[in-house]
Amino acid sequence: MLGVDATADDEQVRAAYLAAVRRSPPDRDPEGFRRIRDAYEAVRDEELRLALRLFGPAPLASLDALLEALPDERRHVGPGPWLDILRGGKP
Amino acid sequence: MSKRDKRGGNRPAVAVPATPEERRPRVLELISSGKTREALDLAKQGHKDAPSPQAEGLVIDAYEARIRQMLAQGLHDEAAGLAALVAERFPAQRQRIVPLAQQSKAIASGDLGAILAELPLAAPTRRREIEEVLTRELRDPRQLAETGALPLDDPLRQGGRAVSVLFAAVTSGVLPPGALAALDVIPRQSPLAPWKLLIRAIEAYYRRADGAALANLDAIPPHAAPARLAAVLRRLIGEPAPGAGRPGGDGRDRAVDQKPVSALIGAVTGGQAGLRDHLRSLIAALARRDAAAAGAVVERIVPLMPSEPLWIKPTFTATLLWQWHRLDLPPRPLIAALRRDRRSLEWQRETQRLLALMYERAGAWDEALVVWDGYVAAATRAGTLPSAGRVPARILLHMAELFPAVPEDVLDALGVDSDEEIEQLIDDGALPGCFARGRLLARALEADPDPRVFRALVAHWEARDRGQAEAHAEAWRRAHPEDLEPLLHLVRAAEARGAYRKAIEMLGRAEAIDPMHPELKQSRVRLLLTSAEGRIREGRYAQALADLDELDKAVVATSGETWVYLGALRWLATRRNGDGSGAERLLEEIASRLVNRTMLSLIVGSVAESFGLEPPEALEAASPAESAQALARAGELFRALGRPLAVPTGLLARVEHGLGGASPADLHSLCVAGLHMGRPALTYAAAGEGLASDGPLLHRFLLARGRALALAGARRDRNRAISCLRAARELAGRARDLDAVREASSALGALGPDDLTAWSSPHGDLDGTERPTPREIAAILATERARLEPPAFKAPTGGRKRRRGARRAQRDLFDDLLPFMELGH
Repeated sequence: MLGVDATADDEQVRAAYLAAVRRSPPDRDPEGFRRIRDAYEAVRDEELRLALRLFGPAPLASLDALLEALPDERRHVGPGPWLDILRGGKP
Repeated sequence: MSKRDKRGGNRPAVAVPATPEERRPRVLELISSGKTREALDLAKQGHKDAPSPQAEGLVIDAYEARIRQMLAQGLHDEAAGLAALVAERFPAQRQRIVPLAQQSKAIASGDLGAILAELPLAAPTRRREIEEVLTRELRDPRQLAETGALPLDDPLRQGGRAVSVLFAAVTSGVLPPGALAALDVIPRQSPLAPWKLLIRAIEAYYRRADGAALANLDAIPPHAAPARLAAVLRRLIGEPAPGAGRPGGDGRDRAVDQKPVSALIGAVTGGQAGLRDHLRSLIAALARRDAAAAGAVVERIVPLMPSEPLWIKPTFTATLLWQWHRLDLPPRPLIAALRRDRRSLEWQRETQRLLALMYERAGAWDEALVVWDGYVAAATRAGTLPSAGRVPARILLHMAELFPAVPEDVLDALGVDSDEEIEQLIDDGALPGCFARGRLLARALEADPDPRVFRALVAHWEARDRGQAEAHAEAWRRAHPEDLEPLLHLVRAAEARGAYRKAIEMLGRAEAIDPMHPELKQSRVRLLLTSAEGRIREGRYAQALADLDELDKAVVATSGETWVYLGALRWLATRRNGDGSGAERLLEEIASRLVNRTMLSLIVGSVAESFGLEPPEALEAASPAESAQALARAGELFRALGRPLAVPTGLLARVEHGLGGASPADLHSLCVAGLHMGRPALTYAAAGEGLASDGPLLHRFLLARGRALALAGARRDRNRAISCLRAARELAGRARDLDAVREASSALGALGPDDLTAWSSPHGDLDGTERPTPREIAAILATERARLEPPAFKAPTGGRKRRRGARRAQRDLFDDLLPFMELGH
């Protein structure tokens, strides 16, 4: 959620947290802010990050939750791949 | 039934005209109204009844209409077959039929040039047929936009151009506002109308307005060419196709080549649509408890699981392991699926780590321990886990923390009688080395000499072998001479075994490091007090009085009610020393300073009783409030000093039934005293009185109520205890009372994992993992406030009854995974 990698230090985590809060300020996106805050609290210092690395992550309540959490990418790919389906692969 | 009747099926019977003159207009009428099959039947009947060139011509007219209609319905192969049949049977009519067959082949291959060329001059009926063919067969709007068969200003060609441009734009990037208005020129009856709906659906999909996208897709006729893309778009959105699941399904969907479909979905979603589809299948398979199907889907998911973001793969695996376990599914299909992923040994080790965590959550500490041990060995061998330092020490400490808090529970679980037996089994190879908790902690300390590990190691031995604990503390002290912690332990240990000289020596060393440390001050007072009491018992009264003089100088001795205890000891020593009047004066002096006479009687009486002396006077009957205060404060004092308080039964009963006027502070002291004296009924009553009103100690009263209920015999009361303790922990957390949080957690832990996981709350839907909500806490408080009658508390037992059982083999749901995990070794 904060977009930091496993080797980030306290300062990098803090910077990523502040950047995320700027994107989802508590007054405009309270739910988003709560998630960001929770994520930050889980990785705020080295000890917490180590604990998460060794003893995490916790399982989600269900696989449906994982489905919802998967990033939903929607890339523009041009008309070609769409028309290929109608053409049945023929040019 | 005749062959004709069979072919006729349920078609309504067509009235057969009597003469050939009447028959011809009827056939043409049926053709123009689209009833080509009936027209053909009628024409063929006429030709059979009265063969003639005119009748044959009418049959050919009907065949031609029938073939064109089949083309319009997309039945290319059927149309071509029928055309070939007619050409063979009526060779004279080949010149009319052969072009139809050719047109059929051209349309089937996507070439619409011939029918577009017909369009400008086509009669209305034929025009409708051609538009129907276009609706079905237009596979690229550029065919219309660029056709030379239609003039530039033809509305269909103009519409084709608009659709072609917008389709390219909407699939290539975000459209500018208002861009879709260009589609308004296309009427609803146009063969381009389905394309208009498709473009709107794609535009909505990219701006994540899935509802609008689906609404547009729903409006696309299922026979139109864009319907094939509609089905794909539904998959991208995650919606089943209409009719999916119906027997037979959508025949057109089956006809679609799945290779370009997969290519499009993969390209648009960055490869995640396939993953989503498989996850949905996995969820469905798990819901059906179909382990074989679920395992097969896992096999397909694992290679698709992206490495970014980092949390996805471990979260998926942790969730899957946990769900699989909760559903109690057979492990083999999952093993087989995981075994397929041989690409990364490191990931297999990660799976082993997640498996260990799954066992922990399931309360299977021993299985978790074995899997952790395997993980540490494999990861260390592979070099992904260093053999020394903070990380391995942290894991080893974690493994040590998995053991039940009560040492006897470990023995019960392993079916042995002593730690020595465990050591023996380990040495014989009958038990993995990780079951020696002391060895685990020693390894952790060796990997990283961290104070936290040291504390855990000393605490471990303190409960089992105080000599070992003292030896470890001494070793740590020598290695870290400026560290106060081992000295504090050594003072306590020496004091506990009566080695006061050694205790005082260590106390001196500790005071040299931090003379103001509160525990050291308490230790000094405790040691002097023990010394004074010992000297009284030994009859060395003058030395005892000297100790007491020194104690008086200590700051803590004058704080609280400690001075009353010291005064009582002084009275005792003086009286034993034969100075009766001096003893009387001392008692009067104490009485002049202490308003609560009941407390004086209680303290002096307890001190006298512990030395086998009669108390100076009988307890006076006091008010309920004074009795409660006396018991509260005396209880607090004796608990702090670690001395037994002898409470007369009458006073105890008076207090338990007369708590109405007690202050919240006294009520809390009574809660604590009740537990300390082994009198949970007193704690229960005092906590109930404290819970009657909201206040800063509310969480403390809830905690005391929970701890008292935990001592009750019935399972219902234990469940109440759990709710109280969980609510208390939550409230204590909010009040930042960390001692109370720890105490509640410890009490919950002592109730055991079975109670936590299999618990059905009398207060609601709490389970072992969720934090109670404010609403649930309010319900718990309401229940406890209403329950004034104490439960039946268990009589104190002489000790814990051992449950001797056969040593459990390392078996469980996932045992079969262990050989697989050896792959990572």
